Amino acid sequence: MSPAAVPPLPWFDRNLLRAAERIVPAGERAEWSRTWQAELWHMHHPARKRRRKGMGIAVDLSIGLVCDAVWLRTDSWGRALSGTPALCLASLAGLCVMATVVGLALNGSWRAFAVYARGPFERSVFAAAMVVFVSFAMTSRGHIEHGSTSKGRFGLKRQAFFAAKAALVLLLACLMSVDICRPIHTVFPQTAAALQLLMFVPFALMGLRWAFADQEQRCKQCLCSLAGPARVGRPSHNLLEWNGTELACKQGHGRLNVPEMETSWCDRSRWVDLGPAWE
Amino acid sequence: MNTPRLSHSAALILKALSLGYCFGLDVMEATGLPSGTVYPALRRLERDELVESKWEPEEEATAKQRPARRYYEVTRAGKSAALAATQRYPLLAHLVPEKRS
Repeated sequence: MSPAAVPPLPWFDRNLLRAAERIVPAGERAEWSRTWQAELWHMHHPARKRRRKGMGIAVDLSIGLVCDAVWLRTDSWGRALSGTPALCLASLAGLCVMATVVGLALNGSWRAFAVYARGPFERSVFAAAMVVFVSFAMTSRGHIEHGSTSKGRFGLKRQAFFAAKAALVLLLACLMSVDICRPIHTVFPQTAAALQLLMFVPFALMGLRWAFADQEQRCKQCLCSLAGPARVGRPSHNLLEWNGTELACKQGHGRLNVPEMETSWCDRSRWVDLGPAWE
Repeated sequence: MNTPRLSHSAALILKALSLGYCFGLDVMEATGLPSGTVYPALRRLERDELVESKWEPEEEATAKQRPARRYYEVTRAGKSAALAATQRYPLLAHLVPEKRS
């Protein structure tokens, strides 16, 4: 339709649209703008008598316009960050901050928290070394055949990510155990100290176990979570052909073949690079 | 296929769409929900493939001297979700009036 055929929107609406447009991701901006131009136009030129009219609906629609733009932006961030290593580390760091805030609230001040937490932290560092040793010993190191991504840039990136994740998990386990034992500490300090250590060890073990499992289920190149698990093969044909689950990288870097049962010819998960053609 | 569990407002919007209210402003009017709830909910329903949207033909809008608007339609999955929501929230049917053509 020619723009001249439709009377233009009022000054406020045009400027609000222009301002909110910047929030919307570039790819969806044109359609969003078209949708809202139509909605605003129809608000000003109702085809039939409306239940709500005047300023009320104008303000309501202006709020909706901004909410819609914000939703599109957060949804696009959600899609872009979903399963990424950055989101994983940020979530763990966020949990650590929350646990610290709880600790501060329980102790009343930063100084009191620092004085109280020093002992538990020292004990936890000692225990963490043992927990890490035990976790590595319990987890099969050669669980996945990494193929061409085992060394070099990808290998280093993977190890750095795992180290950061494990450090945050241990810190979180320590902060949680410190927070939980704080109320007991005022009445039974010795019991609280022992209990803190007893709680830290299982928290840290569970956390590291999760860290190992999470690491296995990530792309060996981009470190994003693998998606689309698919069952392949039939369990009854276990001796004849491979059967298990296949997980794929959303960006097409490769796929992970996880055997259903360990066999002499396929005893571990295998990462298969798909190459640039699939990306 | 599993029927998704809908929030009360999403169920209300789906109900309004299934009764023939087919664009955002109309759904707002029918449900009485604020636009800050209706439009993001429509996006979510569309993302979950419970509704689909299409643009009104340009010629039709031009003939009536107005901009083309975006119409929403309930999909087959949306219809079963609306049915499940009506069973879950029995009063839903009374909250949205039938559309007068």
